[in-house]
Amino acid sequence: MSRLRSHHRNIAWLVAVLFWALAFSSGTGASGKSYSLEATPVAEGVWVVVGSTDNFSKANGGNILNTGFIETGEGVVVIDTGPSRRYGEEFRALIESHTSEPIVKVLITHHHPDHAFGSQAFEPNTLYMLDESASLLEQDGEAFSDNMYRMIGDWMRGTEVTVPMNRVQPGLLSLGNRQLRLIAMQGHTGADLVVLDETSGALFASDMVFFNRALTTPQTPGVALWRSEIRQLAQLPFSLVVPGHGPVIRDDRAFLQMIDYLTWLDDVLAGSAARGLSASEVIDTAIPERFSEVEGARYELVRTVSHLYADYEKRALNRH
Amino acid sequence: MRRYWLCAFTLFASASWADLPSDPLGSPLWAYNIERYLGQEVTVVVDERVGLSVPDFAEDSTQVPLAVNLREFPHKVNKVVTWVDMNPVPHLFTANSTDGQLKLVSLNFRVQQASSVRAAVLDEQGVWHIDSGYVDAAGGGCTAPREVLSNSDWESEFGTLKSGLFSDRGNTRIKASLLHPMDSGMVGNVPAFFVGDVEVRNESSDNLLLTMTLAESAAENPMFVFEFEGGIPHLSIHMKDNNGYQFEGAIGEASP
Ligand SMILES: [Zn+2]
Repeated sequence: MSRLRSHHRNIAWLVAVLFWALAFSSGTGASGKSYSLEATPVAEGVWVVVGSTDNFSKANGGNILNTGFIETGEGVVVIDTGPSRRYGEEFRALIESHTSEPIVKVLITHHHPDHAFGSQAFEPNTLYMLDESASLLEQDGEAFSDNMYRMIGDWMRGTEVTVPMNRVQPGLLSLGNRQLRLIAMQGHTGADLVVLDETSGALFASDMVFFNRALTTPQTPGVALWRSEIRQLAQLPFSLVVPGHGPVIRDDRAFLQMIDYLTWLDDVLAGSAARGLSASEVIDTAIPERFSEVEGARYELVRTVSHLYADYEKRALNRH
Repeated sequence: MRRYWLCAFTLFASASWADLPSDPLGSPLWAYNIERYLGQEVTVVVDERVGLSVPDFAEDSTQVPLAVNLREFPHKVNKVVTWVDMNPVPHLFTANSTDGQLKLVSLNFRVQQASSVRAAVLDEQGVWHIDSGYVDAAGGGCTAPREVLSNSDWESEFGTLKSGLFSDRGNTRIKASLLHPMDSGMVGNVPAFFVGDVEVRNESSDNLLLTMTLAESAAENPMFVFEFEGGIPHLSIHMKDNNGYQFEGAIGEASP
């Protein structure tokens, strides 16, 4: 009896707190959230919106990636739409404040939520994706969405998984005064679009390249394949590289770091499996001093061991 | 209300047991699970040399790695008990080191929500040494339905046992992976179907090195690692599930 009464008192108190919180948030809180996006010009008619290199959090709202846009003289090409509807809306407004050309093509580089979840803010008939990426987004989108609501909370308000209605084909895309080379790769998720603006030399490598930020492996078909594709990227005639995560760079250091890091990961996983180490021991592997600039290396090693080590282990064992 | 209840509960549990050291992680289930898995009025010390290792967070809550690395443990190891406090059934395994030479034991587990994890080691004087870890998790690992393979692979792969023998700094290490659903009986109408017993023998002397019982927190497709002191050229592993299936393999000559 007394337990029940105190329960009611608790609920009344909780309701009061909720009302207070709602009243507060409608004034200055949730609806006042803003990503404060800024477009950095990196070449004539080419802008990049640089995000942080942190993990998803309620503090950054998932603004942890780089997006970009290119004026062609016959409309704007956008690369990726960001982690949420809100990001997409702010990004679109930002683009429209920098150019009077209409947005004609929005290229979603891969199906990861931080790159594909701002698409609602753009006209559906402008959205493009690789065929295989669209299948992956259909398959994984809802699970990604649940996870994003958990990680960034209210920033996700109103965000729904949007699978682009158009497909993009690898090859040359001529638009106005630009020639874009669209390249389909697999290393990061199995279907990764890379965009080289041959006119300016800006290479939008998306998550095929992380720079000074540890690469992520939940969907990689394998680090050896990824590494071989980085070698192909390094051969392209680029003048600057826009990684999916990390700072824009004007030489090949991002490629060298990727090759070094992927080689190290492969060696750690294969070497540990050959010694019979348990996954718990592998996640404690010392991270070489030369990767001290690589943000989040320990955190991502724990994840990578979870994603990939079991396969290395099985190859190192004999069947009975 | 809930908080008061938990406090009262903790007070009650520790009041009945004056010598129990306080939990380094402050879990309300500390005393309760120690009593449940180690017994009443046992002697317990908090001891990092037990060498429990779990990740800070579960990337996959159905497959979380755990190791108990006893290389720095200064006593003979009689028994190792592990559990995951916040799981519906916390117990993960109990391993009996029949000759006291166990140096490492590792097994993957499921986690239902963020939880403290414990490894308790019984030494030759009857003292329990406990080390703790904490795993953050989005959760659901105990009640997530198993991903059913789309083709007939599962039937042909079921029971596949792979193993390897390794030597490390003069010790002998065996790693074994078994493809088995390890259904705990806690998901919907799926009946319990899991490996309960594991044995490791020295093939040359036929001495039993280790017996192990697994419990509900064990993950699907268990991956075992055991390390024993000294060189042992031939080992065998034997497992049995609750439906009467047996899985065994002999493993020769440790690779250098
Ligand atoms: Zn990605």
